[in-house]
Amino acid sequence: MTMIPMPAHPEMLGPANPPHAPGPSPPLPSPASPAAEIATRLLRRPTGLAGVLIITGFLLAAFAGPHLYPGDPFDVAGLPFSPPGEDLVLGTDYLGRDILAGLLHGARATLTVGAIAALITLVIGVAIGALAGYFGGALGTALMKITEFFQVLPTLLFAMVLVSLFGQTLTVVTLSIGIVSWPPVARLTRAEFLRIRGLDFVKAARAAGAGAPYLILRVILPNAAPPIIVAATLAVGTAILFEGGLSFLGLGDPNVMSWGLMIGQNRAYALDAWWTVALPGAAIFIAVLGVSLLGDAFNDAINPRLRRRT
Amino acid sequence: MSSDPVLVLDDLSIALATISGEVPVVEHLSFSVAQGSTIALVGESGCGKSMTALAIMNLLPQGFRCSGGRILFEGEDLVAATPSRRRALRGNRMSMIFQEPMTALNPVFTVGEQIAEALRAHQNLGRRAAAARALDMLRAVQIPAAENRIKAYPHQLSGGMRQRVMIAIALACRPKLLIADEPTTALDVTVQAQVFDLLARLQEEMSTAIILITHDLGAVADIADDVAVLYAGRCIEQGATRVVMEQPLHPYTAGLMVCVPHLQPGVMAARHRLLAEIPGMVPPLGQRPTICAFSDRCTRVGNDCLSEPQPPLFTLAPTQAVACLHPLQRETTA
Repeated sequence: MTMIPMPAHPEMLGPANPPHAPGPSPPLPSPASPAAEIATRLLRRPTGLAGVLIITGFLLAAFAGPHLYPGDPFDVAGLPFSPPGEDLVLGTDYLGRDILAGLLHGARATLTVGAIAALITLVIGVAIGALAGYFGGALGTALMKITEFFQVLPTLLFAMVLVSLFGQTLTVVTLSIGIVSWPPVARLTRAEFLRIRGLDFVKAARAAGAGAPYLILRVILPNAAPPIIVAATLAVGTAILFEGGLSFLGLGDPNVMSWGLMIGQNRAYALDAWWTVALPGAAIFIAVLGVSLLGDAFNDAINPRLRRRT
Repeated sequence: MSSDPVLVLDDLSIALATISGEVPVVEHLSFSVAQGSTIALVGESGCGKSMTALAIMNLLPQGFRCSGGRILFEGEDLVAATPSRRRALRGNRMSMIFQEPMTALNPVFTVGEQIAEALRAHQNLGRRAAAARALDMLRAVQIPAAENRIKAYPHQLSGGMRQRVMIAIALACRPKLLIADEPTTALDVTVQAQVFDLLARLQEEMSTAIILITHDLGAVADIADDVAVLYAGRCIEQGATRVVMEQPLHPYTAGLMVCVPHLQPGVMAARHRLLAEIPGMVPPLGQRPTICAFSDRCTRVGNDCLSEPQPPLFTLAPTQAVACLHPLQRETTA
């Protein structure tokens, strides 16, 4: 073999052009990113589209509603228990407060609690699951024992204890919901990490000199993301239900209007004035339904891709 | 050819820890690769070729460890080096291509991002400079329409193209040493030839040393300067490729050569020749005798083979060494 004198760095690769690509190459169909592909598939499904529409509607209500329909939801707006359609579109509750104002203002609190609690769930769950799955061994065992400890506590009871200990504020409610809901996400993440860490491209990345942080965050996590995102989406729905449940039991934040608070405060009059409870209940129902539809559709949208990849 | 060895394996042994003690996987392996030259490791599956490669990269699976000897990379003993030092070398000064290009690329990033990543991590290039070099690399590995393919995801490329991308990633930092672990096993024949041509051409340009692990003796004859034949974790013959291929000394090496199928139009139709084979199996891990491990399959086995331990490699011809009590040439010339 003969040594060819080698020009300096970048230039040396230049003249080594393939023989079959002299002119401008024909344009290839521009490759779609996996994320764009999933989004398309998601919106093509009726359930996915419905989920996206419902959630968009609620987000609009939450952030534009209070501006379009101003007024403090805690203000007395009419006679107590006036039915929908008489004075106000959706009637009033036991103190004469406007239900529609409550629903619109409550949407913001309820959806925020849902989103942030799900985010906390995701952060704790993914961190613990990723470390346990990647490193395994004694660290993994210890982390999974902690996860199991949290998992055997009855979640609603545990959240109630936390709220009664640390005060009935929206922050505490949100944190408590996040703290009681992460174990399933941790287990899911760990399982995905265990599966992916043995795959060839992880070995190849290690052979290319990647260290543990890079392997965890940039190699394994993006590949483990789809099922985790589904779990997080569904966690939003669970968190909204949780907030409703806590408020129903009188453990919500009494100073912030939320759907759960409306149900909780009017629950004694549910049989006499159905709208005071049924309307916020319906709002929770539809919001959770929207989130679940989205999560399921997302799960379906990513599955064919996982099958094709193996 | 420069005689400056990039990598020297000095009496390297690899062992697997089991509940009943350590089982040798590779024993007393020594070879060296000079800058710009290629050594091929050949042998049947399970004879320790891949473990040797993984040991050099410090990627041995759990339970395996280097139990003796040294791995000298540009004079630096890697067995004694810290894990972080070895990680800094990996991907930068030494890199590896894997057998299976279909699964060795990260499915969620574009190939351009994956090539650029290595450059940004090891050479401190900026995002833009790394992307430009990634494009150069894609052109260097002869991917058509490289400026479009750089944005492609692995699943949009064929096996041959993915292996080219793997080569591009491995060579992006212009490593001193490239380990190619059966780089063409998963590819079809025409693509195999292209990949070997590509490796040889890039090697000339970058004067990279290559350790080629393969079953493809045709490729060995084509591109390897030296060859080491492994059997059951021991090197049984080593030397310049041409010499070893033309005049194998160890009966096992000779057997391997005969097992290569040759196209003989018309002969198959006449249902004449059967492809030669070596009867028997490689002894499994943990059941390797101290006598020649090939003795139970060898046609030239003598009584001394069954009583004396296997001899170490000894030089017979100027560029050829063999570990056998009854090597072929000695008896034919004597």
